Amino acid sequence: MYAAINSSTLHGVFGAPITVEVHIGHGLPGFAVVGQPDEACRESRDRVRAALLCSGVEWPNRRITVNLAGPAEKRGGSTADLAIAVGVLVANGDVPAEAVDGTAFFGELGLDGSLRPSAGAAPLAFSASGSRVVVPAASIHEAMLGAGRRAVPAASLREVIAVLKGEEQWSSAAQHPGPEDARAVLDLADVRGQHQAKFALEVAAAGQHHALMIGPPGVGKSMLAKRLPGILPALNEEAAFEVSMVRSAAGLPTPVAPGRVPPFRAPHHTSSTVSVVGGGSPVRPGEVSLAHHGVLFLDEMGEFAPTLLDALRQPLEEGTIRIARARSSVELPARFLLVGASNPCPCANEQVTGCGCTPQMRRRYLRRFSGPLLDRFDVRMWLTRPRTEAVLSAVPEEPSATVAARVASARDTAMRRQGCPNSLIAPSAIDEVAPLDAPARAVLEAGLRRGDLTARGYHRVRRVARTIADLRGDASVGEEHVRAALGLRRELGDR
Amino acid sequence: MKHAAALAALPLQTHARLRRLVLCGDPEVTWRRIMAGERVVAGIDERVWRAWRSSEGLEDTMGERCAESGIGVTWMGGPGYPAVLLRDPNRPAVLFHRGDTGAFAHPRVGIVGTRAASRAGSAFARRLGHDLALNGVSVVSGLARGIDIAAHRGVLAAVGNSVGAPVGVVAGGIDVVYPAEHAREWEEVCSRGVVVSEAPPGTPPETHRFPLRNRILAALCDVLVVVESRARGGSMITVREAATRGVTVMAVPGSPSSPVSDGTNALLRDGCAPVTDVEDVLVALSLQSAGLPAGGPLRSVDTRRRPDADEQILLAAFSGLPRTCEELVLATGRSRFDTGVALGRLEADGWVSHDNGWWEALLA
Repeated sequence: MYAAINSSTLHGVFGAPITVEVHIGHGLPGFAVVGQPDEACRESRDRVRAALLCSGVEWPNRRITVNLAGPAEKRGGSTADLAIAVGVLVANGDVPAEAVDGTAFFGELGLDGSLRPSAGAAPLAFSASGSRVVVPAASIHEAMLGAGRRAVPAASLREVIAVLKGEEQWSSAAQHPGPEDARAVLDLADVRGQHQAKFALEVAAAGQHHALMIGPPGVGKSMLAKRLPGILPALNEEAAFEVSMVRSAAGLPTPVAPGRVPPFRAPHHTSSTVSVVGGGSPVRPGEVSLAHHGVLFLDEMGEFAPTLLDALRQPLEEGTIRIARARSSVELPARFLLVGASNPCPCANEQVTGCGCTPQMRRRYLRRFSGPLLDRFDVRMWLTRPRTEAVLSAVPEEPSATVAARVASARDTAMRRQGCPNSLIAPSAIDEVAPLDAPARAVLEAGLRRGDLTARGYHRVRRVARTIADLRGDASVGEEHVRAALGLRRELGDR
Repeated sequence: MKHAAALAALPLQTHARLRRLVLCGDPEVTWRRIMAGERVVAGIDERVWRAWRSSEGLEDTMGERCAESGIGVTWMGGPGYPAVLLRDPNRPAVLFHRGDTGAFAHPRVGIVGTRAASRAGSAFARRLGHDLALNGVSVVSGLARGIDIAAHRGVLAAVGNSVGAPVGVVAGGIDVVYPAEHAREWEEVCSRGVVVSEAPPGTPPETHRFPLRNRILAALCDVLVVVESRARGGSMITVREAATRGVTVMAVPGSPSSPVSDGTNALLRDGCAPVTDVEDVLVALSLQSAGLPAGGPLRSVDTRRRPDADEQILLAAFSGLPRTCEELVLATGRSRFDTGVALGRLEADGWVSHDNGWWEALLA
């Protein structure tokens, strides 16, 4: 008369275990779902009934009560369908209670009893308790990322019933091929010239410094940005796992073998704030979370809504984004490398001399970025249209692999020294990890005195200088490193 | 003092009216007479008198405002009125100032020019301001964008014992910083020299005030140097005002193809003396280049660190054109890292400037 089935629901990018309790008793025939379920969850009544009828089960014409037990703010979605259906079967005595011991179920049911793939199969399976997790066959590969061999696939409710009755065995995951990692890794050597920008990107990648590209259209800003994942250090196992979890929770195809290439996300400038930072009901991860451990590229950054850009400040600072709603708050991972690109002025003309914009117009155009946001870009590069001799020069361009090796070794040095990328060095630790020699100190102090450098900028320049020294294999930070770092932090549109 | 400020700040006030009021005598007495309902001068209609009489208490408000911002007030015939303005036909009736009016005792050179200056022009104005200050000359300018602010930045960069004090002549109230991004220079000019205006504190920098400001600027100069100017514009108004006052006008030659040098080249064609370095101006002032380090050649006022051999190769690679870093790498054959670092050093020393990816050598 009573059954308790393990299941899980999605909360942001994390799964949360819940228990589905089903009671069948005397009284007027009815079917009620209690426990503050959301809309999709209430609709599951009708799906579950239709699915059971289509699977050849006689519907118990009695009073059926379903209770979703778990953390109050985390009940929702359609993923509890399968658990409710199994609960009805067990409570009605169609399936022995021992058969579901230590097994968790999730998945949305079709009216015909088929199991539909669910977004977030990886985190759902990861968080489900029990020694076995039954998941929709189409989501098995995602589920295995989270639960390994605990996950077993089921194509339909009929199949689940047959196995639980002991008539069949669980099918093998191998029968359901998953998607491959189809992303091509682009090579830096495809971009001719732009060595200054390439150097800046290398610094950004090595130290995890946010980067800003300023240049007229067609000089290769997006081309360069798209090649950044190829020179970033490969993801370690843990990071790759987190990336898969987020992708899965967002309902994106998640490759079988978690790729080691960092993700690259480039939302269009008309994107809504919610689509970029995450949100909705139930809360879905946005682009900032999909770019976790990877690159968030904002092309035409000045065209993004100012409120959206300002919403990026929290994730930039903390590496996570907290989405608070009236009843719950979700924290989503969002530690990304921000790369912005913008034209230098509204006319986007080739050269300073050929541009009809007045200094006021240029200043106004670049003033669209709020100061606090601009301040986070430690690496700023100005791209100019390459002249033919640079494009056609016979000098072979460096392939990504060479640059990536330098970046990886610099990042390694940093991790061994202070346990974090250089951009995250605490101001209190900077003197210890990046001591300055006398000439280097003099350069920075002159900058402070002239007012070219703010106190915050001072620390940021020192971090970038540390990265440049790491890239060049120098143990201490010298004058030339500081000069180069200052060169990467020039003010915008200053005249 | 506060009564003179109040007279200037009266509603419906005009230059002609203010002038006649101030000529009546002690501003305090005049103020009391107006408030008592007396028509101290003829030919002003009743509407204006009514508005003026209803301004009781304005003298205290103005007094407080001036005291708050450290602004001093003087008037024609009053104490502290700059002697250089006394014989001016169109002198300001009431003059507000912040800073040390002792700056007027030195030889004064006005440096003016367009707001949309080229970088070469800005760099020259800066250099000239700097060198003139080192020679004990007070540089007079308008604290506007472009040439004006570059000249004063040069002055503020000069260090030494007998550096000339900067003089700023502004259109709005002295406590209304315009443009706002010049707040730092504005403050420094006040503390190291003086900023003057005929507008009472709080006056916004309205368009019509700029030509009026230019006449004061012209009147305060011994020599006026136009660094860059289009064929028409504020600088040319200043030039006309200077010409009517017999102030020597000099111009900096520019490229015939550059629109920002149209005005200055026209001045040269009309017979103005050209300025190519500080000595030209000092000669016009009949000054010896006294403030220079002993024995050094005149060019040594260029206090920039001399570039070393490698840096000279880099500077030569510009061959007078704006260049990108890539091009300089190709031209010199040095690594891009070294080129970037060398450009950073040269920029810090003022030999090159950077704008949106383009570098320019400043050899002037």
